[in-house]
This record gives sequence, C-alpha cells and structure tokens, in this order.
Amino acid sequence: MIFREVEDRDLIAKARRGDVESYNLLISRWDRRIFNYLLRLVKDREDARDLAQDVFLKAYQNLNKLEDPSKFSPWLYRIAHNEAYSLLRRNRPETEMGEERVQSIPGRRMLPMEVGLAVSTALARLTEDQREAVVLKIYEGFKFEEMAEILETPVSTVKSRLYTALDLLKESLAPIQLRGVE
Amino acid sequence: MSCSPFDVKDYFFGELSPQDRRTVDLHLTACPKCQEELDALNLTQNALLMVRDEEPPSRIAFVSDKVFEPRWYQSLWNSGPKMAFASSALLAAAILVHGFELNRPVAQVMKAPQPAITEAEVATRVEAAVQKAVAESEARQAAKLQQVAQQQKKMEVDYKMQMLQVADAYRMLRRMIPPSYRAAANFVPGEGQ
Repeated sequence: MIFREVEDRDLIAKARRGDVESYNLLISRWDRRIFNYLLRLVKDREDARDLAQDVFLKAYQNLNKLEDPSKFSPWLYRIAHNEAYSLLRRNRPETEMGEERVQSIPGRRMLPMEVGLAVSTALARLTEDQREAVVLKIYEGFKFEEMAEILETPVSTVKSRLYTALDLLKESLAPIQLRGVE
Repeated sequence: MSCSPFDVKDYFFGELSPQDRRTVDLHLTACPKCQEELDALNLTQNALLMVRDEEPPSRIAFVSDKVFEPRWYQSLWNSGPKMAFASSALLAAAILVHGFELNRPVAQVMKAPQPAITEAEVATRVEAAVQKAVAESEARQAAKLQQVAQQQKKMEVDYKMQMLQVADAYRMLRRMIPPSYRAAANFVPGEGQ
C-alpha cells in the first residue's frame, strides 16, 4: 500500500510536468473504483461513465492545485462527489427513492442476482448522504477522517450518517441474512 | 442501544485504539447482546459486499484521447496561423481607427520661419569641425608618444639596476672563491710553459 502510494505520487509529479502517459497510468488505476463509486450514487451506468470521464478531466486540469500528492485519493473522490451531487441535484425528482422492499420468498435460498437486487433496493431506500457514507466506508474502505475530508463534514456527522444507514440496512437485508445465498 | 463501554460499530470498523479494543473484546465475551449486534453488522457488510464492482461500460477516455483535446477555439488559437489571424485583426482595427482619426479636424500649427544658411557659413562650420577633429587627434597622438617615452625610460632604468646587481653578485663570488681555484680557473693550457 505504501509502495503503491509512492508510485502514485511519482505519477502525479510526472503528470504535473506534462507527462500525459503518467496520467493515463494513474487513470487506469482508479477508473474502475471511481466508476463504481459513482454508479452506486447515481444508479445509472451511462451517467456514471460520463461523470467518471468528467472527474478525470477535472482532476487533470486541477492537478497543480493538489497540495499534498499523498492525499490524491480523497481529493479525487471529492471531485467525484461534487460531480455526482451536481447530477443528483439536477435530476432530483427522478431519483427520489422508491418504496420497494426486499421481498422474502419462504423456503428458498436466494440467488446471487437476487441478493444484488435486494442490496441495490436497500441502498436505494437510504438518503443520498447515507448511501454515500456506506459506499465510502464499506466499498471504498476509507477511514472516517478521509470520509470527512471528501464530504467536507465533521467526523461525527459522517459516523452518524453511516451508523443510521447501517441500522436501516440491517433491517432491510434481514431476509437475506435469514435465508442465506445459494 | 449498545451497553458496551465503547461503540460496537467503532470497534467493528477498527476505529478504536488497541487499549479500547481490548476493553470491548473483554466486554463481548460477557455480553450476548453486543455480540449479537456485532454479528448483525458482519452479516450486513457481507451482504453488501456480495454485490461486486462492475466493469465500466467503456474505457474512460485518457488525456490523449479526443475528449481531452482542446476545444476548436483553443486549437485555432494554438495553431500556426493564429499569429497571422491576430495580426490581420489588429491591422484591420488600426486601419479603422486611423480612418476615423483622419476625419477629425486637425489644428494647424504655424511654424516659425527658419533663417537661410549661406555657403560661407557652411564652409566656416566645416572648417571649424575639421580643425577641432585634427586638434583632438594630435592631442591623442601626443599623449601616446609621451606614454611610450615614459615606458622606455623606465625600462632603461630597470636594465641599469639589473646590470649593477649582476656586477655586485660577480664581485661577491670572486671574493668567496679561494685564490688557488681562481688560478685554476684562469689557467689556459700552453700558456707559461
């Protein structure tokens, strides 16, 4: 991890000096993660792809403003967060959370695809802030301090959002937990 | 509500110090309720992680790709003919401004009549200039000659001083050498036989 971090820093330094190939390599390391982060927030593959594209373009244009290259990852996610929320604000009426609940069919274990659908449904029932807290912690593995940096909110707020979300998810996903997966 | 001395969720996410963690470890062995909460957190996280990351539908465009290329107006500005274009625009603007300026009434400035210069005055001025140049040249020459004479005099004095020093050194050497050696040195074969 440390070795990787040093390498990223090196690539950033080269990209700052105008080495496009170094930036390309940097993108190839982060595009999948950024795409999935955005996908879990905006819930649309095409939107997530377009946003990811914008994120990397903005990151390239503002690379010189990154004060501490070791904080590239929270900085990049901060850009992604801003892009995602710009879109969500524009499309707010369409992205209101549904009232679907995870359906339980007694006597049969769930297929992985059904689990995916159940998790997506449970995540969709969270508020945008709660969902993002879950994504950053569970899927992206950030520490609370880093999450606070990305979301520009105090650590206490980040924890509150995450813990409330987990309580809701625990309730929503109880059928899966009871029945297991095939 | 957890009865643990520290939040079980903080414990679950590894956000406690090692000491606080040990305290919760100890508490969990004796508290089924908190253990149950921890199990539920584990199950929720596992359920969430069952949804794997997806591959992006297409490769994210790189800096060298078209999407990162400059816009048409940036390309135009950065292209070779940009200077020609800018120059032409500036020239056109200058012509326009000049055209407007020409239409303005211009105040006439009356010049004072210049006195006519006669040939005799011209000849006098040329003569004066030539004499001045010649005088300056001669002065420079005289200064150089004086400088050379001084250098030569100094060299002669130096030479005389050196010769005097050599003569002194020779006399001193002759005094230091014993007479028998001096006789041997003055010996010429075939003489005095």
